[in-house]
Amino acid sequence: MAAPSLAIVVWLFFVPFLSSAHLSFLRDGQWSLQNYALVWRLYKIDVVYTLGISLVSLGLVIGIAALVCGYLRIVGHRSVEFLFKVPLFVPFVVVGHGMRVLLAPRGTLNSALAQVGVVDLSDPPSIAFTWIGIVISLVWKNLALAVLLVLGAYRAVDEAFLEAARNMGASTFRQIRDILLPISAPSLVVASAFMFTSMLASFSVPLMIGGGEPPHMLMVDVYYRINYQDDLGTANALGVVSYLFAMGVAGYYLRTITVRPP
Amino acid sequence: MAGTVLVAFVICAPLSSLVIWSFARRWSWPHPFPQELGLFYWRKVLEGDLLRALQSGFLIAVVVTAATLVLTVPLAYLLARYPVPFKAAILLVFLLPHAFPQLPVFVNATTLLYRVNLAASFSGVVLIHMVGALVYAVWTMTAVFRSIPESLEEAAWNLGASRLKTFVTVALPLATPGLVASTLLVFLYSLDEFTGTLLVGSPFVLTLPVYMYRTSVGYELQVASIAALILMLPGLVLLVVLERYLKSEYLSMFGRL
Repeated sequence: MAAPSLAIVVWLFFVPFLSSAHLSFLRDGQWSLQNYALVWRLYKIDVVYTLGISLVSLGLVIGIAALVCGYLRIVGHRSVEFLFKVPLFVPFVVVGHGMRVLLAPRGTLNSALAQVGVVDLSDPPSIAFTWIGIVISLVWKNLALAVLLVLGAYRAVDEAFLEAARNMGASTFRQIRDILLPISAPSLVVASAFMFTSMLASFSVPLMIGGGEPPHMLMVDVYYRINYQDDLGTANALGVVSYLFAMGVAGYYLRTITVRPP
Repeated sequence: MAGTVLVAFVICAPLSSLVIWSFARRWSWPHPFPQELGLFYWRKVLEGDLLRALQSGFLIAVVVTAATLVLTVPLAYLLARYPVPFKAAILLVFLLPHAFPQLPVFVNATTLLYRVNLAASFSGVVLIHMVGALVYAVWTMTAVFRSIPESLEEAAWNLGASRLKTFVTVALPLATPGLVASTLLVFLYSLDEFTGTLLVGSPFVLTLPVYMYRTSVGYELQVASIAALILMLPGLVLLVVLERYLKSEYLSMFGRL
């Protein structure tokens, strides 16, 4: 009964996943470490680039969500809460294209800013095809999920704690920092692990908004390696590197949630 | 008040640009608005490849949703009611495609599908969609079946109903909200799927996201923007429908086993 659905995932995900490890050690049919040498030589900057973008995006998402949700939890604001759900249902490809149109050198944002004189028309800044554009896109899309999860965690915190704090004169910010955050920290870790992994693995957004020049995010490198150089070995080596990062994050997540609070 | 406006701007800015572009007939830099508005591109689009990609993607999503539900509902019931060995492991297997980067895995999966002549075919794309979609149905339905009190089914058994009849007449109807949620989640996932479709479907099977990507790297931004807007519609419908169910309180235990 369980067989067909499990079989699909095993055949089309688990097996190819394992064969990545196998293929990454093959070059021209021979066992070789060349692929990994190539990854080190050509792509170590891209690895740092990918990690950097993901960390910055994660930091921004959690930071904004922690504060906004604190406000939404303590003060409440229905329409803002609804607005934050919108990006959840916007597919990544649409985010990529929308951001590109908005943030390109000749995009609508620069065009609008030019009307008020902030931007010089002959030399408009280019946000779209840089890491900033990718960060903005990832933050925009992930903020929706983060707000949903963090707000849920905040709402599970007993109102009595917040009331006690308020009685002692705590401001909204103090309530967030000293009560909501510490109590819901595990939930924030879970949300962070989930989002960090998905940011590391992002493909459609950097493909559309990343620009032609290196450095690229890792998944784009894998795609280019396969599509333009037909190099299965190095592409899989890059894949294995990305799996290791994902496993590291998963390990951290499992370690955090299996430590039961006293 | 100022906060709402700021948030509304941040959320809507990228989307509004798409709306303007889709109605632009001629728009050159640096005018803030199109010089010529019109439905020209909407009409052009309705006669061209976009419609085919849309139909294709829609059909794939329907097949994926139906197949997923057929395969996962019985499995979820088993996992919810019976002491299945390695239950946690089974549930986690379905999560794998979302825990690890999909692109390198799907690159290899394409080779596997190629060997059985399923690459660049409708069925191949359906299968690759299911890899990622199954988890939504399995996890949702397992939780839903677990929340139905067993005493209700026991009452039916006591009155002489067979297990199958009880499942169909008692458990399934009570699980309807879960079925609706699963259907919508899986359908949306399939409609929006990009990575797998790009690799497995090329060059014959096109869905709207892949079509949108191809047109957006060209120069006809109007077509890409229209595709993007159409792609957003099912998502917005889901948003409105789930707004009643997507209370953040329900997700306070998300991910905590």
